[in-house]
Amino acid sequence: MSATVATQMIGADFLKLRKRRGTIAWSLLLAIAPLLIYFVVSAAQHSSNPVEHPPAGGVNGYQDALRIVAVFFAPIAAILIGTDAGAGDASAGVFRDLVVTGRSRLALFATRVPAAIGLTWLVATLAYVLVVIGTLAFAGGGSNPSASTFVNGYLFTLLSTGVICAVAVGLSSLTASRPGALVALIAWQLIASPILTNISSLGSARDLVLREAIDHFSPIGLGDGHGGGRVTMAGGTGLVVIVVWLAVFLALGAWRTRTMDA
Amino acid sequence: MPPTAEPVRDGAGEAAIETRGLTKRFGERVAVDAVDLYVPRGSAFGFLGPNGAGKTTLIRTLLGLTTASAGTMRLLGLPVPERRAEALQRVGAIVEEPRFHQHLSGRENLRVVAAVRGPEVRARIEPALARVGLSARADDRVAKYSMGMRQRLGVARCLLADPQLLILDEPTNGLDPGGIQEFREMIRAMVEHEGRTVFVSSHLLDEVEKTCDAAAIVDRGKIVTQGPVAELASGGAAGELIIGVDDPDRALQLLEASGLVASVRRSDEGLRAVLAQDAGEAGPATARLNAALVSAGIGVMRLEPARQSLEQRFLEITSRLEAAAEDEEVPA
Repeated sequence: MSATVATQMIGADFLKLRKRRGTIAWSLLLAIAPLLIYFVVSAAQHSSNPVEHPPAGGVNGYQDALRIVAVFFAPIAAILIGTDAGAGDASAGVFRDLVVTGRSRLALFATRVPAAIGLTWLVATLAYVLVVIGTLAFAGGGSNPSASTFVNGYLFTLLSTGVICAVAVGLSSLTASRPGALVALIAWQLIASPILTNISSLGSARDLVLREAIDHFSPIGLGDGHGGGRVTMAGGTGLVVIVVWLAVFLALGAWRTRTMDA
Repeated sequence: MPPTAEPVRDGAGEAAIETRGLTKRFGERVAVDAVDLYVPRGSAFGFLGPNGAGKTTLIRTLLGLTTASAGTMRLLGLPVPERRAEALQRVGAIVEEPRFHQHLSGRENLRVVAAVRGPEVRARIEPALARVGLSARADDRVAKYSMGMRQRLGVARCLLADPQLLILDEPTNGLDPGGIQEFREMIRAMVEHEGRTVFVSSHLLDEVEKTCDAAAIVDRGKIVTQGPVAELASGGAAGELIIGVDDPDRALQLLEASGLVASVRRSDEGLRAVLAQDAGEAGPATARLNAALVSAGIGVMRLEPARQSLEQRFLEITSRLEAAAEDEEVPA
């Protein structure tokens, strides 16, 4: 497959995703609304009682806002977009029409991934811009994060959302069902992962939890923020765990796309 | 050449579709049973059978949507699945009902397929939309399209390939009479003016009879007979005449006694007589029969070979097969 065809196919997959008004609306709502609520409520609390409540922005505010975006809500938006990309053709019944073009099924699968990640990153970037604006606007008299922290925070946001999105594409391609993949991933991300990482008897097996592996690359101390349950892991372990998760789910999605009856 | 269960080769180069012993099993059930099919290029070919006969399964197997259990296939002269991608570059297909991304417009749906087919294909989108008469509604979301519009958009999607071969699975399902007529004309134009081959699967005999040059009749996964439509239709009525006379009673007696006919009976159209085996060739025998009637003072208003419709022929074949299947099930 030539680069021109690949680019066109990614563009076509991107078109399919960005035209889904429901998915886009929910993704933006999830990525942005909690952040806005956080800043508004924190600013109101700070203005009413500055001694008890720190400024909504500044270093503390940035940490909370980054956690809201990069750890909790933007990954959910990534799941919405990724599951749509993975199962969209099959659920619309057009997968067979793409197969009968003679184009390789692996190519049909492969171009979904960058398209989904591209759209996810647009949403995540918009949310991160609001994080930065809120951090600076509501800093009050406190200090602001350094420029490198802002950059690292952005890269962390892209990593967090991109990896989850790719896993979502793989899983929904595997199941060929968006609802199933959606429920499974959200439940894993929001319920199972925090529970598993807080079961200390699991020891180093907790390193395998994707969310913990991703959090390892956070520029801020996320562990302190959720019950001291953060798993400490060796430098390269987080990266290996992420790569294994990606490899497994993308391989499963590709295998299913290649072998399924269309 | 009489119709036959064996494929009839036209000798005009490689076939558009050729299968040998093509078989598709789902567990114990055989959906496509050792099918030998030959579809000549530049024709409209009907693939006729009742619902559940295996038509769609054969199409899905040809297109690589599901794998064959046994046998060989060639599309446009190329072996599949070995050179499937190459073959499908010049094949357009609608399998079952045409499906689209409902949230995209007609034009956007075509853009998606054009992107997958290759960079040169995008230029065919507007001509394809114009060809099927959808240019004015191309920016509407497909969710708002009627069934007929979706069928036409499906054809436009096929045309993006500039296909040598179109495979259409039950293409007139859900169309109103005007839409069906329009569709037939489009298929004939593609064959007669553009030299394309159109393979139409259908359970509607009338549709195949009016649209196609040749056809295969499939039942329970097997090809029962195939050949030119006219020959398929006349296959069961060879040597049978329809006779319109002014005195049917006397004509009946005379024909029974003449030795020219093996049987004669009344029908809505007049008398129906089957020429006797030893009456000689049909033409001269018919002339002798006419002379006998006229000599006896019976006025002959009508004398012509009986023609079955494809529907009659189809029912005759499938009911014969059903009877045979029932006989097999009865223990001796």
